[in-house]
Amino acid sequence: MMYFDNGATTYPKPQAVINAVMTAMRGYGANPGRSGHRMSLRAAETVYRCRENLARLFAVDNPENVIFTYNCTTALNTVIKGVLKSGDHAVISSLEHNAVVRPLEAMKEQGVTYSVAEVTEGDDEATIRAFRSQFRKNTKLVICTHASNVFGVRLPIERLAALCRLNGILFCLDAAQTAGVVPISLEDSCIDYLCTAGHKGLYGPMGTGVLVMRSDVMPDSLTQGGTGSFSSELRQPELLPDKYESGTPNLPGIAGLNAGVEFVLSRTPERLDAYEMRLGQRLYDRLSGINAVRLYTARPEADTHVPVISFNIGNMDSEQVAAMLDRHQIAVRAGLHCAPLAHQSYGTQEQGTVRAVMSAFNNKKQIDTLANLVNNFVKLNEKKVAIGDSNVLE
Amino acid sequence: MENNLMTFGSMTAVMKARELLRRDGIRAVTIRTPASLRRGSCGYSLRVPQRYERAAELLNQHNISFVGASTVDDR
Repeated sequence: MMYFDNGATTYPKPQAVINAVMTAMRGYGANPGRSGHRMSLRAAETVYRCRENLARLFAVDNPENVIFTYNCTTALNTVIKGVLKSGDHAVISSLEHNAVVRPLEAMKEQGVTYSVAEVTEGDDEATIRAFRSQFRKNTKLVICTHASNVFGVRLPIERLAALCRLNGILFCLDAAQTAGVVPISLEDSCIDYLCTAGHKGLYGPMGTGVLVMRSDVMPDSLTQGGTGSFSSELRQPELLPDKYESGTPNLPGIAGLNAGVEFVLSRTPERLDAYEMRLGQRLYDRLSGINAVRLYTARPEADTHVPVISFNIGNMDSEQVAAMLDRHQIAVRAGLHCAPLAHQSYGTQEQGTVRAVMSAFNNKKQIDTLANLVNNFVKLNEKKVAIGDSNVLE
Repeated sequence: MENNLMTFGSMTAVMKARELLRRDGIRAVTIRTPASLRRGSCGYSLRVPQRYERAAELLNQHNISFVGASTVDDR
């Protein structure tokens, strides 16, 4: 199988990730730091090592500001539901994922409102103006994707975060599609909260996510329970990361994530991005040479995009195209990618798009195979349409 | 009796402190916190048999909260 569904989760994972999960399961699968014995201590050390590596990756001083969640969605929910209260207003971009939109929709019942700022691809000034125009007196939080999970368009997040800081508004970054691929330094930015998945560009197992907290404004915790600390007290501890990490953590997942982050650190996000961008550009160029193929963005470039390529073949249903590719051992994702706002912005809400996302494990040969298959498919389809054969899409 | 034990509120603080001390060449051994000191602790402590004062100074410099204590068992 040639796998291009890396926007959903990366596959394959580095061998070191698989080994780390297996070692944790087989060798020291105890509850981290809870029980006092050596295995428990070793498990706690692995969890801490991962915190340290993530702090290094995102240039954060304190490893305790790195909080483990079960995915990016949980991290985003923690910020959104923990920060916003009745009467508060939030602003999001027009490219947000449902992980942002749905919690905000749910919070309408509690008196929280939100507005959508339109992103203009290739015009950061217009995008920033759009955000600024949505600010109100009661705007408390901006939640913004770093790059669209559908179209790969990057947002000017450093400038947006600075704008928010200037206006006394908290800024939460959804880095699900960029962590591990685009360098992110929290030290040099005004980002208050960073949320990301562990299983995408960080190459960890599914069931891992991260919230990096930089703001002094600590969201309420979504869950309360055992933390292994202050056990005699009935109230949830306020200290980080315990406040947000109730219950048994996902040790095998975190062990794998640690190996994934080490994989990224050893290769550097800059080099990974450069490699994957070359593949993305190759696919874009090949597809743009096929008349029937619709592409929706400008040619991806490192400063403006991440290597996420969305396309369609004429008016064909994107799911049908993905099914055809699947029959030829190519995994892509079609449909709306849980981001209906983004599809509305690009006029693809009915058709959806076929999405191919690169990872470190893709190569030029795979790109050419995908492009050739699309090309052959288009030609075959045109031939069948010409002879009146209604049974297209083989 | 002089302090040779540091207790912490969270396991993450224990790990962070130990790493910091290690980088400064200070030996710190993670142990289960003695029962009499366990209240308000995460259940683990660092035993610092030597250079305790320097260790305390380092942790204070890095804003790592701990409670100092002494234990007779300093093996």
